[in-house]
Amino acid sequence: MTDLPGPTRTVTIRVDGTDRTLTVEGRTLLSDALRHGAGLTGTHVACEQGACGACTVVVDGRAVRSCLMLAVQADGAEVATVEGVAPAGALHAVQEALRTNHGLQCGFCTPGIVMSLVAATEGGVTVDEAVDEVLGGHLCRCTGYVNIRAAIVDAWARAGGGGTTAGVGA
Amino acid sequence: MTWVGQRLPRFEDPRLLTGRGRFTDDIELPGLLHAAIVRSPVAHGTLLGLDTSEVDLPVAAVLGPTELLAMAQGRLPVVWHMPGEFQHDRPIIGDRVRFVGEPVGVVVADDRYRAEDAVDRILVEVDELPSVVDARAALEPGAPLLYDGRDDNVMCRFDVGDTAEHTDAVFAAADETLSFRLDIGRVMGTPMEPRGIIAAPDDDGRLTVWTSSQAPHAVRDAIAAITGLAQHRIRVVAPDVGGGFGLKDHLYEDEVMVCLAALHLGRPVKWIEDRYEALVATHQARGETVDVDVAFDRDGRLRGLRARAVRNSGGYLSHFGGGPLFTLAGMLPESYTWDAVRTEATVVATNTTPTGAYRGFGQTQAVFVCERSVDLVAGHLGLDPVEVRRANMIRPEQQPYATRCAPVTYDNGDYAAALDRAAEIAAGWPTPPDDGRRRGVGYASYVHMAGVGPSQGNPHVGLDVGSWESAIARMEPDGTVRLFVGTSPQGQGHATTFVQLAADRLGIEPGDIELVHSDTDRSPYSAYGTAASRSIAVGGGAVVEATSALADRIRKIAAELLEAAPADIVLGERRATVAGTNVSVTIADVARRAWQGWALPEGEEMPGLESRFAYDPKQYTFSYGTHVCRAAVDPDTGVAEIEQYGVVLDCGTVVNPTIVEGQVHGGVAQGLGAALLEEIVVDDDAQPRSTTLLDYLLPVSASVPDIEVVLTETPSPFTPGGMKGMGEGGTNGSFACVVNAVAAALPEVAGQVTATPLSPTRLWELLHPTP
Repeated sequence: MTDLPGPTRTVTIRVDGTDRTLTVEGRTLLSDALRHGAGLTGTHVACEQGACGACTVVVDGRAVRSCLMLAVQADGAEVATVEGVAPAGALHAVQEALRTNHGLQCGFCTPGIVMSLVAATEGGVTVDEAVDEVLGGHLCRCTGYVNIRAAIVDAWARAGGGGTTAGVGA
Repeated sequence: MTWVGQRLPRFEDPRLLTGRGRFTDDIELPGLLHAAIVRSPVAHGTLLGLDTSEVDLPVAAVLGPTELLAMAQGRLPVVWHMPGEFQHDRPIIGDRVRFVGEPVGVVVADDRYRAEDAVDRILVEVDELPSVVDARAALEPGAPLLYDGRDDNVMCRFDVGDTAEHTDAVFAAADETLSFRLDIGRVMGTPMEPRGIIAAPDDDGRLTVWTSSQAPHAVRDAIAAITGLAQHRIRVVAPDVGGGFGLKDHLYEDEVMVCLAALHLGRPVKWIEDRYEALVATHQARGETVDVDVAFDRDGRLRGLRARAVRNSGGYLSHFGGGPLFTLAGMLPESYTWDAVRTEATVVATNTTPTGAYRGFGQTQAVFVCERSVDLVAGHLGLDPVEVRRANMIRPEQQPYATRCAPVTYDNGDYAAALDRAAEIAAGWPTPPDDGRRRGVGYASYVHMAGVGPSQGNPHVGLDVGSWESAIARMEPDGTVRLFVGTSPQGQGHATTFVQLAADRLGIEPGDIELVHSDTDRSPYSAYGTAASRSIAVGGGAVVEATSALADRIRKIAAELLEAAPADIVLGERRATVAGTNVSVTIADVARRAWQGWALPEGEEMPGLESRFAYDPKQYTFSYGTHVCRAAVDPDTGVAEIEQYGVVLDCGTVVNPTIVEGQVHGGVAQGLGAALLEEIVVDDDAQPRSTTLLDYLLPVSASVPDIEVVLTETPSPFTPGGMKGMGEGGTNGSFACVVNAVAAALPEVAGQVTATPLSPTRLWELLHPTP
């Protein structure tokens, strides 16, 4: 047997606008580094199989499953998590739409869905793409998705109804 | 302003939306250690021990069977006992393993990665025995036996409903009979948050436990029994819980091991289940085979229903034992006036993961057996299945209605009205495109026994726990309220709905009230927790009574302050007002006087402002409704899609329609998933095959259509406030409804649409039989 816990290295990841310098193993998942290294527990881990999307964060503008990315791969990257998408006490437009449309129940899968939708709002994604493809990458066991779809339609409509999302952000 | 009935946004949501929820794995403690569980790699064998000689890295502890058994002072309870059952409780670890994934030891290290490294280096020594996977195979003579000293693998066997003689007579007198076998696939609740626990002993001999649970008091009681600690030395907290759906209703063996390891080390220890463990070691559900005989007349009159039901218990009885199969049998009459209903039920041990509670418990299966039977009868007779339903339904004037399965007595409701409304919904659906797919509309009507329940009835059905609930309402000196309840939510929105109930009684704003729950040091006792659609029906009743009593006291003190009669005092807008006048006092002023303790009215001299009520319902509540959906089946691929869905539900008084609709949506998705997608697969060597969420297929957004929900309100005659439980109803209706719709789309093989899930493979093979 090899001695699996290999050497550690130091990475610096800019998380929600703050540089975080973390000591990680080569095998440390980005999800674990965020949750247990940086103490940002808003990012949830539900499968570690890349199937459910609960752990989604935005890395350099792209929605990424943080259980499928190593922390060392994020060295030098900008990472946005659910804890940073709106100022304290406020909600991002996507969060507000989920609230007003009852798009969450237990709330465990919610942070990942919020982050995928936040990335979509900034990427010029149409409402149909957001409903079909972006939400299609997430598993939710409580809501049956009906009210999450309603929230997406609502958020996109509030942003102007033009089919894209300019201005949906907080 | 009346708050009950309002679509009040949930108080829970802002922190959950912003990542500020607090789930079990979010909790960090100084000196926290991390556990990983050692599990059996084989399905059946004599457990010899653990070979730890290859563990060459630093760990805090490795506890195997010998160490754990030496520490355990008790056993895990089975709380629902059936006639003939022999497993009244179970050890946390035995001299045999009976399913792949069974926990046999625990490793504790300074981080989870290291603990898993050590588990990988441990060899579980097992003297392997032949295994059996299928319940019917386990009943065959010569099958491998799971328990020494037993002649067979029967865990319990019981009859429910009419006698065999009466049932035979009804069948003999009927015009016709049909017989068929229904195979209900094994599934699991699959909450998005897996299980998890942190056990933290302190120097004073107290143990604090955070755990993702539906029933913190039941967990506390079980930990006490096994550790030998007194119950008052243990605090169990369920922080935010990411779904439960039944499988988090009790303490598991691996969770016990974490507690024992923490006590052994004198250090806090955390264990968070990973998804592989969730899919092999957490309790699964259903997996019944039901041989059905149905007797009827040529005009469509339903006469008799007889079921021989076999349930695969897995290697051990779960917390609620044979309860799910008993519940299937007890609710089999569903919405109709049968002349005979009888079930012969057998629970069988096999070398698979134990099966326990999952949303619907056994009622989802009862609806399936009954409603599939109705459709097969209608198809056989060439009658409209809606007409057959309507003609046989219990009518409002027959309520309260004692079914053939004593002691079940329905309370009230107009079942045919819900059916007719559902048919109206379906009539409004647009004509589908001509795209080569074959379509059918399916129905399922159901009655939902909700809200366990009257404690005094439990011993008569073998249920060994009380099921009352209590609430404590305490108004603070500034007029705000803390409401302490025993039920323990996992997404149901209690912090909103219970507050709505209280605000109406107390005349204050919902934002003035905070719900306190899920903490055995603060919450009143609840043996059952949040399960069985009982929180609003039982816990809500306690909230209504406790806050009504508190309001009475407020009125009396206000009357003294205002020199009026208590009966003339009206509470609202945070004021106590003499009716018909503008003479009033703030409720905060009343509260301050109550806590000052002087000049209180006669009979109300005891200072303070707090009320407690323990509510033990006299009867169950019975929600009811009809689901209708349209399926489209691609004959070339066997893929079934549900493209339209309607629900008519009556759950008595609706406290928050948005929350009720949301629970219906989620319930429908879970029933749909079980009908079309979800399947726990075990190979012939009893090795689990559905071990990731890429293999165990949960519904995705594209699987679930938009759902029209119509709520009617026939208040419960029993519950204070009129609420009936509804959390499981969406699943109960949708599982049968989806299967009926697929069968309706394929009438030439409808008689063979009898096994779930209706996967593309299964449907394609039905449509393309091997010659």
